Amino acid sequence: MNPAEELKQKLPSAVVSIGIQVNKPMAVIKKEELLNAAQKVKEMGFDHLSVITGIDYMDHFEVVYNFFSYAKKQNLALKVITDHEDPEVDSLTSLWKGADWLERETYDLVGIKFIGHPNLVRILLPDGWIGHPLRKDYDMDTEQFVTIGEGGEDIVSTDGSNLLRRK
Amino acid sequence: MDPVTIDTTKIKSIKRKPVTALEKLEDTGLISTVLAAREREGLILLSTIDQVFNWARLSSLWPVTSGLACCAIEMMGVAMAHHDIARFGMEIFRASPRQADLMFVAGTVTKRMAPRVKQLYEMMPDPKWVIAVGSCASTGGPYHESYSVLKGVDLIIPVDVYIPGCPPRPEAWLYAIIQLREKIKNEGYGAKWGLNK
Repeated sequence: MNPAEELKQKLPSAVVSIGIQVNKPMAVIKKEELLNAAQKVKEMGFDHLSVITGIDYMDHFEVVYNFFSYAKKQNLALKVITDHEDPEVDSLTSLWKGADWLERETYDLVGIKFIGHPNLVRILLPDGWIGHPLRKDYDMDTEQFVTIGEGGEDIVSTDGSNLLRRK
Repeated sequence: MDPVTIDTTKIKSIKRKPVTALEKLEDTGLISTVLAAREREGLILLSTIDQVFNWARLSSLWPVTSGLACCAIEMMGVAMAHHDIARFGMEIFRASPRQADLMFVAGTVTKRMAPRVKQLYEMMPDPKWVIAVGSCASTGGPYHESYSVLKGVDLIIPVDVYIPGCPPRPEAWLYAIIQLREKIKNEGYGAKWGLNK
């Protein structure tokens, strides 16, 4: 029995479906039951949250959590499907401390809001960046530039007048 | 260069009113310097101040220590003993831009790094030169369609030599350094008179 089947056995109400993705057991979780399922996953021995990914499918978003167990040497992927208008899922920072930066990165690039995150600000791009670049509807035509302000802070502008030699 | 021979028959009429260019030169008193030099075996080395400066500048280019991506690994390879840019007098990578006159833009210039690169360039004292290393620094390279990468460092600072490659081999760096030395040699006055040998 792989970990996804085990999770479905323990929490039949939370798991929508299970399967195999890239040789890893995968379980699709209901959005409301994510914290419960994650708690169960942690009790199953998955002590390492390695990657959080957000995927834009135009009509909905998918958040993928990749877990690894150092003791059992097992992988498990959890998926949560959110709507496209207002993508929000619960934060896992209360269970895995490492989720902090991973969720900030997912928020920065895909724009998924993690409810309960202690410090949900951009991690790679500067504050004030317009849009979330890994979304399909990101505007690639308006180029954004970064300049340094008086106090050393990053300022985002779309004309780059302080930076470029010529327009 | 060939030794310059001075025709001394033409510089005797020093009391006449100066007409020709050489006579006017005599009138300024400068010719006595030439005559004094003639007495020392008649071999005179003529140059311009610009060419002397160029010779000094190209013989000890000091790069600033800055690497942005994988091209910087090749920069270490160029600096180490196998390719050995100490042959060009430029083995001293300065940790401060105030002491450097050459900048290798070695790697991807992201939007967030771009103002810092520009600040580094502006902190360097004149005269200064820039070599854009690799396809990222030259055009954006594989990240040309990206949202976060500047499409060539020449959008923000002037570039003297571009090195293609991803990353370029150390031989390409050495060729670029030789090209830059040729460029410095031909700056200022004197190059078109053949004094840049």
